[in-house]
Amino acid sequence: MAKVIVDGHEVEIGDSERLNAIQAAKRAGVEIPHYCWHAGLTVVASCRMCLVETGTRNAETGEISMLPKLVPGCQTPAKDGTVFVTNSDKVKQAHALVEEDLLLRHPVDCPICDKAGECSLQDYHFQYGQKERRADVLPFTSRRRDMGDTVTLFVDRCVMCTRCVRFCREIAGDSELMVINRGAHEEIDVFPGYPLANKLSGNVVDLCPVGALGDKDFLYQQRVWFMRKHPNICTGCSTGCSIDIDENQDHIYRLKPRENQHVNQWWMCDEGRYGFHYVHDDAREIGPHRREEGVHAAVQWATLPEELHAKLSEAGRLAAVLSPHLTVEEAYLLAKLVRGIDPDAVLALGPVPVVGEDETFKNGFTIRAEKCPNRRGVEAVIRHFSDESLDFEQFLQKLDGGEIRGAWVTGGYKQPMFDEQTAERFSGLELLIVQDMFASPLWRQADYQLPASSFAERDGSYVNYADRLQSVKWAIRPPAGVWSEGQTYWRLLKRPGLYNARQALNELAAEIPFFAVAGGEIPPTGVDLKLNQLAAT
Amino acid sequence: MADFEPVLLANINKPDSHTLSVYESGGGYQALRKALKEMTSAQVVDAVKSSNLRGRGGAGFPTGLKWTFLPKDHPGPIYMCINADESEPGTFNNRILMEQDPHQVIEGIILSSYATRATTAYVYLRYEYPLSLERMQGAIDECYAAGLLGKNIQGSDFSLDIYMHRGAAAYICGEETGLIESLEGKRAWPRIKPPFPAVEGVFRKPTVVNNIETVACVTHIINRGADWFKSMGVPADPNNPRDPGSYGPKLYCLSGHVNKPGCYEAPMGLTCRELVDEFGGGVWKGRKAKAAIPGGISMGLITEAEFDIKLDFAGPGKVGCLGLGTAAVVVLDETVSMVDFLHNSCRFFAHESCGQCTPCREGTRWSVEMLNRIKDGRGRLKDLDLLLEIGDSIGIIPGTTICGLADGAAWPIKNAIRKFRGEFEEYIKRTNPSGYSDDAPAPSLNYRTNGTQVVAAQPSWWPSAHSH
Amino acid sequence: MAAADRMTAERILTDEMIEAIKAYFPRYPTRQAVTLPALHIVNERLRYVPLQAVVEVAELLELAPAVVQDTLSFYGFFKQDEPHGEHRAWVCRSVTCALRGGEEVLEHMCEKLGIHPGQTTADGKLTLEFGECLGACDFAPCMLADKTLHKDLTPAKADEFLESLG
Repeated sequence: MAKVIVDGHEVEIGDSERLNAIQAAKRAGVEIPHYCWHAGLTVVASCRMCLVETGTRNAETGEISMLPKLVPGCQTPAKDGTVFVTNSDKVKQAHALVEEDLLLRHPVDCPICDKAGECSLQDYHFQYGQKERRADVLPFTSRRRDMGDTVTLFVDRCVMCTRCVRFCREIAGDSELMVINRGAHEEIDVFPGYPLANKLSGNVVDLCPVGALGDKDFLYQQRVWFMRKHPNICTGCSTGCSIDIDENQDHIYRLKPRENQHVNQWWMCDEGRYGFHYVHDDAREIGPHRREEGVHAAVQWATLPEELHAKLSEAGRLAAVLSPHLTVEEAYLLAKLVRGIDPDAVLALGPVPVVGEDETFKNGFTIRAEKCPNRRGVEAVIRHFSDESLDFEQFLQKLDGGEIRGAWVTGGYKQPMFDEQTAERFSGLELLIVQDMFASPLWRQADYQLPASSFAERDGSYVNYADRLQSVKWAIRPPAGVWSEGQTYWRLLKRPGLYNARQALNELAAEIPFFAVAGGEIPPTGVDLKLNQLAAT
Repeated sequence: MADFEPVLLANINKPDSHTLSVYESGGGYQALRKALKEMTSAQVVDAVKSSNLRGRGGAGFPTGLKWTFLPKDHPGPIYMCINADESEPGTFNNRILMEQDPHQVIEGIILSSYATRATTAYVYLRYEYPLSLERMQGAIDECYAAGLLGKNIQGSDFSLDIYMHRGAAAYICGEETGLIESLEGKRAWPRIKPPFPAVEGVFRKPTVVNNIETVACVTHIINRGADWFKSMGVPADPNNPRDPGSYGPKLYCLSGHVNKPGCYEAPMGLTCRELVDEFGGGVWKGRKAKAAIPGGISMGLITEAEFDIKLDFAGPGKVGCLGLGTAAVVVLDETVSMVDFLHNSCRFFAHESCGQCTPCREGTRWSVEMLNRIKDGRGRLKDLDLLLEIGDSIGIIPGTTICGLADGAAWPIKNAIRKFRGEFEEYIKRTNPSGYSDDAPAPSLNYRTNGTQVVAAQPSWWPSAHSH
Repeated sequence: MAAADRMTAERILTDEMIEAIKAYFPRYPTRQAVTLPALHIVNERLRYVPLQAVVEVAELLELAPAVVQDTLSFYGFFKQDEPHGEHRAWVCRSVTCALRGGEEVLEHMCEKLGIHPGQTTADGKLTLEFGECLGACDFAPCMLADKTLHKDLTPAKADEFLESLG
């Protein structure tokens, strides 16, 4: 174990770890302010905000010898015996100098800046800056130009950390962003006719430590201090990026990637980032309906579970179509429900949307063609309950056989998945329950229409392409009139109290070997179910 | 000085001094032939090491030591980069060498490449030297034709290609890692170190960056021996273990307010006064000197009273300057306004800051903004303290920047204001009688200059780069 | 410029320029290193490097146009909006030349031509610029006009130079 001394406190660092001063100090609970450094990008040490004093402690004598000059913390490795001082007068002076420099030409237009409230320039200036402006007052300039369809640049707010430029060159690989000119005339720009258009472009806004790069989707929509962050998972593809949902009063304003070294590092794609708006689509189905003589009439949730249970019990051979958008807990509970009523109930995987091919970027980040979060999890549940693992096409063929009399079809897709022809094949059923967010031909012929919840409204777990299970809690409440899938199944299973995803996960972890690891604690970055599979073999 | 025979400048006044035949007739390429026949590359390194040759480009790093930082047994390629981006105001010795005696330079490049086992040498030449380009390229072509460059030079197993690479008018390309980045086709933002170029330089391969005059010295060290080189100059200070001494002949550039500006060769350790009076024929127009830049504008300023310092690597530092730099002395006579001088200096560094590190990018711009205002008669006394604070806080010496450009920007500020504070205060009080005091409110920069300064009145100096 | 326009934009680099650029490839282990030589080749022939030329150079060097433009704009040397004049002259404004009247010469020339530094005369004959230290302090004040160094400049000598342009 290497021992590093930060402001007099010893911090231990693992032998295989390669940390810089910023990372080592963080372990000691000490913040070293920085702009240009980002763990996911190359080190340039140009903003000079992370300057610290450094030295070494002699292992034998314990004597500490310090370097006379300041060094950038981002560029200075933490080794055994390395000493960092982050709070000396010299360091404070350097912080104040850089802060003062960065505000010389900055418009200080915080009241109209989206970044206000989560801006490093604001926070650091408050903490480390000069008490008064000593420089001449410059004419206010605030120029804006678009970098592309998703990102806009407030030119004068930029502090030239070049994180965005490095991201486009090192991570996305399309190199659309550049620095132009020299010295104090430098600006970020794109080449005319070659806008920022890579599919990871939104990340540059997250990377921007100040209000220079703005997300046009989020621009002027909400002050950041009104929003709460909820850790969640992007359900846009089977990568399953860790994200934060930023919401205020049950309205989602933006999604941001959440660091997860096992899945998405610090990034997410634009498709996922901007793909949440359907959650607040006016076309979403609200309130359950029952078909009576060809007409759908509203019914009350309160008595619906008992009614559905009775109908399912009368229908004969049952089937459940488990959408790859369901959480594993939901899939498990629904499977349990139909198997509880009909021990030979057919379980099938819902349609799996596949668009194009997997797309891998320069640093390995991959947008997957499979546009759903949990095919592997739902399949594992189905395999547990059923000897045959049916995909949706096989299920439809089986349906054509006429043996199945009652079906519960789950959706949750943001794109239409059930067309007229598909719906037609369900027409001979005794009982059709469709649980979905948006109307479809299938929905319109259902005996019971149950509005579904969106990804942000659910509790549960998803298993991504690499068998990593990640658990989430709801970020917003479903619209009034919508019960979450979990709550619906919970009531139908006549379980006491409210839906408890953790309890359901414990059950299925105990019951299904594939999920055994999930019986333990699930860290925010998820668990690797393969660990268990390895142990089993 | 009377007994000193110029070595580096020995050829420059000969007719057609830039041609191979004239160079060879004066004993040219004998050092190379000798080295290729009689010496291993390690022996060349040893000779240079024991000569204590220190880099002539400004930093004064021992050349032989730099070469030994190259990884041993590296499979290659190893690159030699020759820094001919001489842009330091006041400096022109490399230009004279390249224009008048390019073969001397090329022999030095070949020898240095042989020593470092480099197989490709790039000469990074500033754009402003079209004649140097012509002469150097001509000399390179002659060398290829004469078997002095290319495959198996002079029948040895040593091969070398030399390519000229032109810059595009940016001072920062003279910083060795800025040069490397520029050579690679990127913006010339100096790199963070480590890794040092010797380990990972141009194209991520081991690289040595040497100055033109430095490699020219290598030729003579091989010709005449390390002892000859060490026979002149200022020995190392025995009380300072970090002082490697200042040896050998040195090209001093003298310009400004003197009667005979020019490039003069003398053993290291000439005093500023000797240079001005004996070589430069004294201050022009019968005036007195007020101050001088001791080694390019980056090094700061010495007052007339400090003219007796030795112009060796240690001398200028003893009177508060940054160092010897390029040994380019610029004399300021008694009529020069220090406000104008400092304005010129700050304007230069603001123009040339590469803009990578915040303290340099903003500090150089801020200082010229203040100097503009002071010059315009809107100065405050406390501006001087702010300027000093900027000067004291930017650079690699305090550690706030990646490269030394900011130190170069800082030293003229520090020296000018500390050594001539009275003049600055007098100027400010005289030109801004109602507003100079510290209590006066901060001025706004919404003003125009009085129209007498066309250049200063330019709203933006950035020429033509694309903008929306 | 939309993507479709890019395809149809007329080619600016001539075959001769392309060959000249390609001749530099063997000198360097990367294509990117040919950026400055390529820009000089274009600039010498066109007297500027328009955006379309940047696109074509980038294509030759297998780079994104933004990467070439990033480098190009750093130097502030290459004009992009319109070609510089038939002649291009830099009058030094750094310390030695300033001490010996360089700025006054530049001002004199600007007054005479009615242009600011960086601008081109109406007849397109001359682009006049300030330079930072031209490395000819022994001949201060000095001016580099195309490839010729004009030494020990005075307003009178500057006038002679302007007249010599015809």
